[in-house]
Amino acid sequence: MPYICNLLEDSKFIEKSKSINIAMKTKVTSIIMILLAVFITLGGTTSCKSKKRLAKEAAEAEYKSKVEQAVKDLNAILDDETLWTLEEKEARVQTIKDWNLQNAEVDDLLIQVEKKLARERAQKEEEERRAAEERERANATDVVLGRNFNSIANAGSVSQANRVINETLGMFESPNVPVLIIIKQNAGFNDYDRPTTIEKYLNYVKDQKKATEKVHDVKYNANGKINELELIKK
Amino acid sequence: MKKIIATLMILLCVAGGAMAQDELSFERKQAIDSLALEKVRDLSKYIKIVGSKDTPFSEANRVIDRAEELFMSDAEIGVSSIHSNQITFYRVRKYMEHLMRLNYDRVEIEWYNIEYVSDLQRQPDGTYVGVITIFQTFRGYDQEGNLVYKDTTKKDITVYVRRKETQIGGRTIGFWDVLLGDMRVKETTDR
Repeated sequence: MPYICNLLEDSKFIEKSKSINIAMKTKVTSIIMILLAVFITLGGTTSCKSKKRLAKEAAEAEYKSKVEQAVKDLNAILDDETLWTLEEKEARVQTIKDWNLQNAEVDDLLIQVEKKLARERAQKEEEERRAAEERERANATDVVLGRNFNSIANAGSVSQANRVINETLGMFESPNVPVLIIIKQNAGFNDYDRPTTIEKYLNYVKDQKKATEKVHDVKYNANGKINELELIKK
Repeated sequence: MKKIIATLMILLCVAGGAMAQDELSFERKQAIDSLALEKVRDLSKYIKIVGSKDTPFSEANRVIDRAEELFMSDAEIGVSSIHSNQITFYRVRKYMEHLMRLNYDRVEIEWYNIEYVSDLQRQPDGTYVGVITIFQTFRGYDQEGNLVYKDTTKKDITVYVRRKETQIGGRTIGFWDVLLGDMRVKETTDR
């Protein structure tokens, strides 16, 4: 009887243990689930924070790199240490401005560089204007000299030829202005006749009664007088 | 043996290259040929101007200067006559002055058939030397306009073409300097 009792008690004990076990398991599972959820939540938050930090660091590095590059480029432009053309320098400055770096050093350099480039731009435009004027004047000189050479060659008398010679000499710095005559051009290389002077050349045209050369290049002094003439055989 | 052949080949190539540098291209050679011929034609015009009695004295003197510049400093011009077998040589200025003072009322001088008898050839010193022949017809008239003297002379002119350099406007300009040498009488006829 005690044995049976014991058995009954054991069986109750087992039942109780089972129910305790199930309850425990349920609790553990719940705890694990909660922990997992916490870990995931915490893990996710940490990952987001890390990504943001990395992105921030990358942005900071990029900004720093841009500032360094801008300072380097702007200083190089200021000190004429680049081989860039004016247009390339202007484009570079525009790129740096577009970066909108909000950096005091860069802003200061930008002001200086923009002033410098404005001066260079003005100078370049002035040079282009002068070159255009010179081309225009050279074209006009071509026409006038060509006409005068023909007038001298075909003059009806020595005095008439001399009158045109004197008129033509007025366009020159002096009667001794050198005249080069290209006899042959070959692959960018010029073969010249013996150099002469404008006075001798004009008299040559008069004596030989022929104008077989045309204007190839004209150089002027500051007063707009021709100080070098290059002719080429027609 | 192979090394010797290779060395010889290299030497030949280098020497060939140096020679090729000295040789002018056909077009450039043609240009200096024409330039030398042109100088002779220029001289013919100067002789005509100086010989003409219509040329003012100052103009004739200026032209003599230009003519003199065409020649080498020691060049001489041979003068012949149908009345004598003797050929007299004058320095260029003397010849021109003589021509200017010829005792005719009017003088006609024509040069024609101006051409190379010996092409320009490169000499060891780099100078190109050639001979150009010309025919000159001389006619002298008296006050009444009668032809009192006429001859036709064949003359040979030696031409020298040298490569020179000069400074102009800070640049070095290489140019071909054409100079005429002696002008020799080859034959004189009364035709």
